[in-house]
Amino acid sequence: MSAGQLRLCHRDDVPEGAARGFLPRPGAARNVIVVKREGRLHGYIDSCPHYRGGTPMAWRRDAYLNGDGTHLACHAHGALFDIETGACVSGPCLGRKLTRVPLSEAPDGSISVPAQVAGRAAREG
Amino acid sequence: MRIIGPDYLVFGVDDLEGSKTYLEDFGLTPVQLDETGWLYETLDGTGVIIRHRDDPRLPVPLQTKNMLRQQVYGVEDAATLDAIEAEMSKDRRVTRLSDGGLEFRDDLGFELRFQVTIRRELSMPAEKINAPGAPAQRAANELGVTDDMAALPRTLSHVVLFVPDIDKMVSFFCDRLGFVITDVLSGAGPFLRPAANDDHHTHFFIRTPAYMQGCEHLAFHMGGPTELMVAGDRFVRKGYQSFWGPGRHKFGSNWFWYFNSPLGCHFEYDADMDKHDDTWVAREAPNGPEASQMFLLQWREKWAPGGGPEGGSGTP
Repeated sequence: MSAGQLRLCHRDDVPEGAARGFLPRPGAARNVIVVKREGRLHGYIDSCPHYRGGTPMAWRRDAYLNGDGTHLACHAHGALFDIETGACVSGPCLGRKLTRVPLSEAPDGSISVPAQVAGRAAREG
Repeated sequence: MRIIGPDYLVFGVDDLEGSKTYLEDFGLTPVQLDETGWLYETLDGTGVIIRHRDDPRLPVPLQTKNMLRQQVYGVEDAATLDAIEAEMSKDRRVTRLSDGGLEFRDDLGFELRFQVTIRRELSMPAEKINAPGAPAQRAANELGVTDDMAALPRTLSHVVLFVPDIDKMVSFFCDRLGFVITDVLSGAGPFLRPAANDDHHTHFFIRTPAYMQGCEHLAFHMGGPTELMVAGDRFVRKGYQSFWGPGRHKFGSNWFWYFNSPLGCHFEYDADMDKHDDTWVAREAPNGPEASQMFLLQWREKWAPGGGPEGGSGTP
């Protein structure tokens, strides 16, 4: 892992079709959501854009998807987000997007994010 | 009209198993209604009914993705049902059910049902406190907290709705069903209570665009602020996501703690709400952080100071 990167998990920690939340740094205000779809990983800050400052989206630890597993969902008011783009497709924040986080994958499968993501997560917390 | 308040809220969910686990962990008791429906009840029998969203036994969904399908209200007696039927039949179709209940739709398309209330009378003590200058509420050797203390929702308290037309909603509930406005958060909306309930509110309406119409949250009365804190703390420790609280609201004075849920709305523990009668004059305040709460706290892991500085027991 290069300098300035924070390790979140191993790619196998997130099963196909599932999502999990990882703190970029202990005590960070917001998780980074890592979701795997067709083998590809996508990262977003766990912060629904409905309210200024954002609010956490899961209803239970790692429960970020809707019941059918087709979308990321905010379980505050039921907003649904496209997994590939982060765009809200239904609900209160229609037209807004989740904040995408660039994920880096090391040869050993370690997934990391730029260190500034922890700061971004804190500001949205 | 002697309307008491919500007996049940009915939801059509997309994650039935997740919702069942959630409601039980929240502190509600499951009662299977039929092959596909479950009631999760409080200590007085009020609660939440869930089915899978494709279940044909459910009332029709809202135009939005909100999972609320029906609000079921309890009234004191059959005479109230007759009065509601007479009033509502003036301008809409009212279905009289075989059990005597009534079903119809309000002016914004929410499905309603009225029935003689199913709630059981509760007889249990409120949280007791001791304070200088007042008689002790707990007897000598009676403890305020224990590790295994019960902290279960006692009754379904209120429902908060996102509504695209507040004026229409208020005139429907007040002019047609006899509710009164107890307070108003301008910019958001009014708090309402029905004639046969002295709680500060059984309803709060929040103005939103039409694409958000639905249930914002539902709340359950606890036995006091300590029960609320204990229930919320246990819920967080099981992995559930706090949304807002714990804290204490100004309007209604109720303690609050809101959680995200797989039912697409928030679930709230509340405690110690104000009571009102018809002499009360509604207040008005601009909606925002100042008017919403007396104070706001946030959960954290248990921690205790040690002998310090070198003998500290943990990080602050």
